[in-house]
Amino acid sequence: MLGFIYKKFRYLSLNKKNKHMLQNDKPGKNNNKPILPDLGKNLEVIKDVLNNSSDVTVHEFNFGHDRKFKGALIFISNLADKEEIHKNILQPLMYNALLLNNNADIDYTEIDNIRKDLIPTTDNQKVTLLSDLLDNLLAGATILLINGSREALAIKLKKKESRSIEEPGTEVVVRGPREGFIEDVNTNIALIRRKIKDTDLCVEKFVIGDMSKTDVYIVYLRSVANPKLIEEIRIRLKRIKTEAILESGYIEQFIEDCPYSVFPTVSNSEKPDKVAAKILEGRAAILVDGTPFVLVVPMVFIESFQSVEDYYARPFFASVIRVIRFLSYIISTLGPAIYVALTVFHQELIPTRLLISIAEGRERVPFPAILEAFLMLFAFDLLREAGVRLPKPVGQTVGIVGALVLGEASVQAGLISPIMVIVVSATAIASFAVPAQTDSGTILRYIYLALAGIAGGFGVIMGLLATLMHLASLRSFGTPYLWPVAPLNLSGLKDVFIRVPLWTMSKRPKAIAWDGCDSCEQSQGLMPSPYKKDNNGSK
Amino acid sequence: MGKKMVIILCFLMLFALSGCLGARQINDLEIVIGMGVDKDEDTGSILLTAQVVKEATAEKPSGSAGGGGGGDKAFWNVSSRGESIFDAIRQITHKTGNRLFISHNQAVIFGNVIAQEGLQEYIDFFLRAHEIRPTALILVAEDRASDVLDAKPETEKFPAMNIAKLVDTYGFTSHFYEVNMKDFASCFMSPTTAPLVPLVSIVQDEDCKDIYVSGMVAFKNGKMVGKLNHDEVRGLLWVLGKVESGVIIVPSPNERGKAVLEIVKAKSKVTPELKDGKIVMHIKIKEESSLSEQTTAENLATDKAFEKIQEATAEVIRQEVMAAFDKSRELNADIFGFGEMLHKKYSEEWKDLKDNWDEIYPTIDLIIDVESKIIKTDLLKKPVSPGKEE
Repeated sequence: MLGFIYKKFRYLSLNKKNKHMLQNDKPGKNNNKPILPDLGKNLEVIKDVLNNSSDVTVHEFNFGHDRKFKGALIFISNLADKEEIHKNILQPLMYNALLLNNNADIDYTEIDNIRKDLIPTTDNQKVTLLSDLLDNLLAGATILLINGSREALAIKLKKKESRSIEEPGTEVVVRGPREGFIEDVNTNIALIRRKIKDTDLCVEKFVIGDMSKTDVYIVYLRSVANPKLIEEIRIRLKRIKTEAILESGYIEQFIEDCPYSVFPTVSNSEKPDKVAAKILEGRAAILVDGTPFVLVVPMVFIESFQSVEDYYARPFFASVIRVIRFLSYIISTLGPAIYVALTVFHQELIPTRLLISIAEGRERVPFPAILEAFLMLFAFDLLREAGVRLPKPVGQTVGIVGALVLGEASVQAGLISPIMVIVVSATAIASFAVPAQTDSGTILRYIYLALAGIAGGFGVIMGLLATLMHLASLRSFGTPYLWPVAPLNLSGLKDVFIRVPLWTMSKRPKAIAWDGCDSCEQSQGLMPSPYKKDNNGSK
Repeated sequence: MGKKMVIILCFLMLFALSGCLGARQINDLEIVIGMGVDKDEDTGSILLTAQVVKEATAEKPSGSAGGGGGGDKAFWNVSSRGESIFDAIRQITHKTGNRLFISHNQAVIFGNVIAQEGLQEYIDFFLRAHEIRPTALILVAEDRASDVLDAKPETEKFPAMNIAKLVDTYGFTSHFYEVNMKDFASCFMSPTTAPLVPLVSIVQDEDCKDIYVSGMVAFKNGKMVGKLNHDEVRGLLWVLGKVESGVIIVPSPNERGKAVLEIVKAKSKVTPELKDGKIVMHIKIKEESSLSEQTTAENLATDKAFEKIQEATAEVIRQEVMAAFDKSRELNADIFGFGEMLHKKYSEEWKDLKDNWDEIYPTIDLIIDVESKIIKTDLLKKPVSPGKEE
């Protein structure tokens, strides 16, 4: 029965896929017509394709000796920088001494001549197809068409309207660089380049999205990253056939390994130092134009508990904080579930005095503990969601109302026991300590709570086992999700539950970096010590 | 797909195994923290008293009600008659409206009458029921168990908790020791060893009723046969090597005051010897103590004084052991477990001995060797006394 339904689904989805493929080949949209020598006709065609859109500016002009050449500039007025166009295209073409004085030996219908002699910008490209021309035009380039030429020149003089580099709001650090990625992908690549000044750093460009034509870049270290990984990313990126990529989250959902898992298998970051560190380990970054969130693959579970600051702080404190993060993840997922399991099923496991005070607190509560927990968790998630989306001043009000009404008043009214408030607030605080797993934690919390309400500690253990099985089966671009714990890798364990000093971490992560790469990140024996005479600096 | 379904099915089936689907909200529990078993004199049936936590009043902060001292009590002593313990427990539901939750029971107190008649018929349920911890304390009341549960301790809201606390601190005096259900049962099943159980009584002052552990009672064949006072119990503990700490008072060498010692460490070794049908127990006790107090002005921290004090201490210990032994001879109850020791060493001969152990026990000789040593004088080297040149 189930098999039948499954097959039916497969059939339907395959059908859909085929239809989608057909749509892509629809004529009229992507015209691969060449550019004609006749300027007037070209302009007509272009205007027609762009539906005479009002923001498309077409500027026809004559230039050269005797003004015998005819040309036209096409640009989208809001995207292109008009002043730059004046300075770098129109002025040279129209007033260059070379052109005015010369007796016109040079044929300026030849685009190459213009490009080489007259246009003082670097970023320009010769196009011969109408579709290429349109792509460039829509991306913000200024198109120079010359009457009598089968080629056009796309000159990229984009107006730069981007935010300045600021500290990212999602990843605030106490110690460490304050810069964060911005929406402009070129700036983002520059930020990474500034961290890794190596010839091995490769940047590969993809354009994804039929309509958005978003620039997507893979950035990796050729000598460290596994070639198979890069190939896999290329394949997965090329497979994406969609209309628009508006954020890197779109890419993430199209390339992730296990789309039905609550755990993310692609990590993201807003911090160039973090991304650079991951690239140095052999990972690949995927940058998407228009978003400050950069994707990094492969991702392992442990990464969620690591923070850049772990490596900037000295190892002792970093290790303590790391342990606290693990504990807080456990509390945030299991806190309410364990409380419910203990108070509803296993009262004998609670120390007597604690049991008595819990019983006292619950004395007037009319709901079963499971309902109480669901109510409180729901209230918390409601508050969080409401607070996040609202403008700051209003958000604060929500927080105050939530704290007073839900915390204080519900206890006073005897709807919620005070211990439940403590449990839920501890859970809430703990859930923010591991930002990368907040989503998965929130979902798991409800699942575990339901299991605890049904079958007590037994249910919680079942849930944990199922989660563990699932985690162990997950892969992120070929890397086991639980690496280096399962499969066990001793040198990888140096950076899991504790963070050993940097001078002992001499190897790259085995499961991520390429086998063929130089496995040593740094040389041995870097432990710092005061200069000793007898050693004579040999060490 | 099929494999996945099998795994999910396995998980679902496991839920059926759990067997604890009976969820109970915490406010529906009647948390029992202490139980007393008495005999109802009129009908001869069991009178079971359970101390149940009263959640509504326990909630009040100690500032207003005085922590259960005055006004409402934080507990409810609910009792019921029954043909057996279990019967009585179920009868109690007529009064409470909820099943008793006995997992947190701290102590089971048997009334004096019950103890004298024998615990055989009462002890079974406390070990058989899954909900009751075998680590609950077992005690015997000087008079009625329900009176002990009615006591009004000053610092503790619940008498049963107070009893558990009292018994738990036995280490400071070694005047009695903690016995829980499981320990008691294993001694109870031994053919020769007589189990001991702490004895609790009530000290009635003007308006407060305090609980007091006055010693231990010995059982023989399941019946209470006699009482051991504090010193006798410590004598027993010396032999068993279970003395944790305690105070020994000896006269100071110049006989003008007292030296007070605190036991720091005690070890013992008992070697049974069977020679020509005569049983001799060689008991070797090693004790270390600190000089914790002195009431004389003389400097006791000298080798000479130490020697005398140590001798006197050893004598005190010897007397305590002999007192315990004399008492056990009088009761004819093998509280030391000498029978078990003989059984281990002379398993062949034991077969003949065990049948008339009652006759043999009083004839046992003890050879006691006590080694006492003072290892420190705490914070003072010299006594605090008006300076006198010696």
